Amino acid sequence: MRGGGRALAGLALLAAIALWALAAHELWRSSVPAGLALPHVDVHQFFSTSFLHRSSSFGSFLDLDRLLASVTLLVVLAVYARHGHTLMRESAAGRIGTGVLLGMLGFAVVWLAQVPFGLAAVWWERRHHISHQGYGASLLESFFGLGSRFLFIALALAVAMGLARALRRWWWLAAAPLFAALALLSTFLSIYLIPSTHPLRDPALAADARTFAAREGVPGTQVLVQRVSRSITAPNAEAVGIGPTRRVILWDTLLDGRFGRREIGVVTAHELGHIAHGHLLRRVGWLALFLLPATALVALLTRGRGGLARPEAVPVALFAFVALQLLTLPLWTLVSRHEETEADWSALQATHEPATARGLFERLATTSLANPDPPAWSYVLYANHPTIAQRIALTEAWQARPSAR
Amino acid sequence: MSDHPVRLVISDDLSRKRLTVFFRLILVIPHYLWLAAWGVVALLAAIANWIATLVAGRSPAPLHRFLARYVKYATHVYAYLYLAADPYPPFDGGPGYPVDVEIPPPEPQNRLTVAFRLILVIPALLLAAALLGAPSFGSNRWRSGDEASFNFGIGIAHAAAFLGWFVSVARRRMSHGLRDSVAWGVGYGAQLWAYLFLLTSRYPDSDPEVVLGGLPVRSDPIILEAEDDLRRSRLTVFFRLLLAFPHFVWLMLWGVLVFFAAIANWAATLVQGRPPVGLHRFLSAYLRYQAHVYAFVSLIANPFPGFAGSSGSYPVEVAVAAPARQNRWTVGFRLVLVLPAWLLGAAYGSVLWPVALLGWFASLVTGKMPRSLRNTGVQSVRYSTQVYGYVYLLTDAYPYLGPCRIPGLSGGPEQPPEALPVAG
Repeated sequence: MRGGGRALAGLALLAAIALWALAAHELWRSSVPAGLALPHVDVHQFFSTSFLHRSSSFGSFLDLDRLLASVTLLVVLAVYARHGHTLMRESAAGRIGTGVLLGMLGFAVVWLAQVPFGLAAVWWERRHHISHQGYGASLLESFFGLGSRFLFIALALAVAMGLARALRRWWWLAAAPLFAALALLSTFLSIYLIPSTHPLRDPALAADARTFAAREGVPGTQVLVQRVSRSITAPNAEAVGIGPTRRVILWDTLLDGRFGRREIGVVTAHELGHIAHGHLLRRVGWLALFLLPATALVALLTRGRGGLARPEAVPVALFAFVALQLLTLPLWTLVSRHEETEADWSALQATHEPATARGLFERLATTSLANPDPPAWSYVLYANHPTIAQRIALTEAWQARPSAR
Repeated sequence: MSDHPVRLVISDDLSRKRLTVFFRLILVIPHYLWLAAWGVVALLAAIANWIATLVAGRSPAPLHRFLARYVKYATHVYAYLYLAADPYPPFDGGPGYPVDVEIPPPEPQNRLTVAFRLILVIPALLLAAALLGAPSFGSNRWRSGDEASFNFGIGIAHAAAFLGWFVSVARRRMSHGLRDSVAWGVGYGAQLWAYLFLLTSRYPDSDPEVVLGGLPVRSDPIILEAEDDLRRSRLTVFFRLLLAFPHFVWLMLWGVLVFFAAIANWAATLVQGRPPVGLHRFLSAYLRYQAHVYAFVSLIANPFPGFAGSSGSYPVEVAVAAPARQNRWTVGFRLVLVLPAWLLGAAYGSVLWPVALLGWFASLVTGKMPRSLRNTGVQSVRYSTQVYGYVYLLTDAYPYLGPCRIPGLSGGPEQPPEALPVAG
């Protein structure tokens, strides 16, 4: 009987893994032609040696800073996992409330430990004129940003601990889909959390955006401008929301005259590409796929402290979850680069402007001091976009595709 | 109870003459002019006293006497103006006024604290602004360019004096609670001036029990109890405001339900003459939770509060009496009746900001909340709790309008409970 039960559990596990793999395969689908070979691009053809040297030095410092911050994060959380439960005496909030407090304090300790790395990054960016945000302003912004993280962790822990109390060892089975649903809700509402936006006022740019939106199959998608130029000089754009809340956000640093109409059009088409191919929804799908094994592992690791229903297990859960996130970072960046490539492809299909796209990528690299060809470890760990060299290569591959001849 | 060398002595019997109360603002003008003229000389004397004390390590007796007289006179004038006392004060700051202040003789002082007295006094000034009320200057940028503005932060003494004027004209008697509220501010002001003029080296102590030399013990239907050892965790102090974010959200969400529950409670109490038990319990839990959160944010208590407002779960606790029969007239017009209490509540509430701000720095450095700040803040939470309890119809006893003894907190000798007045 016991053997039969085990076999059944094994079969169920196999079926779950197969389902997981099938879902991952579906999410990985892309409109970029399979087997597309990217030509080799010699970055020296596009960038001066002095720029390559500068951008490499700029990127190396930030990469190292980020790596050290990640290591510190792990060390701090490991120490917190061991000793964090002693802070339970600072609570009069019952089991779940105390767990919420320990979760927030974990993030608080991490924030304190990471302050030097954040300030170092600000110093480096100011030195290279990428940012002119003050140290005090940056510190205050990150401090109050911690408030929203506290709210998030409070909600997540209240849900997880409540489920752990009701479902005991199997809480994660309910928690993973619930968290995914919450992520979906937060993606849906994200547009309302972005400050200082206004509609795109330039009629020519707005007309281009309408054209590209229609070509990419997402007509009527609104394009907004976010004012960030008071503290940032680097240009950027993003796609947010789902369904009725989907928007393209262009930073005003993109519209300050450094980029031409056609270049801004490519950026807009790229962001519309994210919306057209449902990348935001797919992100939630990937998150759900990550959460299932991750929460199961957290449930397993917290058993030693009596399970997640007990507040003393929260520091351990925090450490386990963050460690898992860091371990799977290369997979997250891989997914992100995959989606960015598809958005680039979609923009080329909509604009038919490979030369403009190449010029844009060159300009983006020079204005953001992005290293066109970063070291492999940095690329694997932190690059959430293809390298500039890869993006230029994609434009050449698009031009060379059979239908273009 | 810790003592303060600058002691307020109150022998006022609360009786007031309508005529002098009605014209109080005009009657006080000669005193104001005399106070201003004396103030100019006092300022010069204070500078001389500062130099002399810095050199000799002790305030010279003649200067000390002169400045002490000035502080006493100012206390008399403000007590008269704010209706904490009734007789027209003498112009010489002589002894025997119903609200008087005792100032100790010159004592040796630490030269370092003398040298930096003007800087050291800043935190006390923040508290004085909340207890007394203080003018402030600002600039409005959102309209046409820079535009200077003048604000008047309502302090407890000002608000109490305003309400006291109506009470005294109507009843020929000042309310005990309002008189003590005024005296609290005036007494703290006297301590502040005495410290600033180097008449004492003791820092002003805002604890109302210290300022007033004892507080009435009351047995209201809604009381605050506190058991706190003043220890504070530096980590939770540093992140206190952010840690309270989930509570703010929960307070807001729960508040939406409370809004409808309070309306239902109003209708039900109007019909039945007493609040239904279920609604009373629900609103009491919210009231308790509100007090827990305020106490946590303003560092009056240390632990992170729970989210349910459970009774007995927090060091700063609210005890609410069981539902009792209420006068239907006071139920029907509750929102009108509460307006005076609400006005004073705004002043009491404004005390929490300096308490939290100063307490934050002090707790972060020493790991302990100063007793005086804790005991000041707890009066604010107690008062707002009673106001909200009155609004939610948990009781028809009017909030007590002055500072009173908080059971559980270290304080002076026990006094017999006062009878419950309709209005403090």
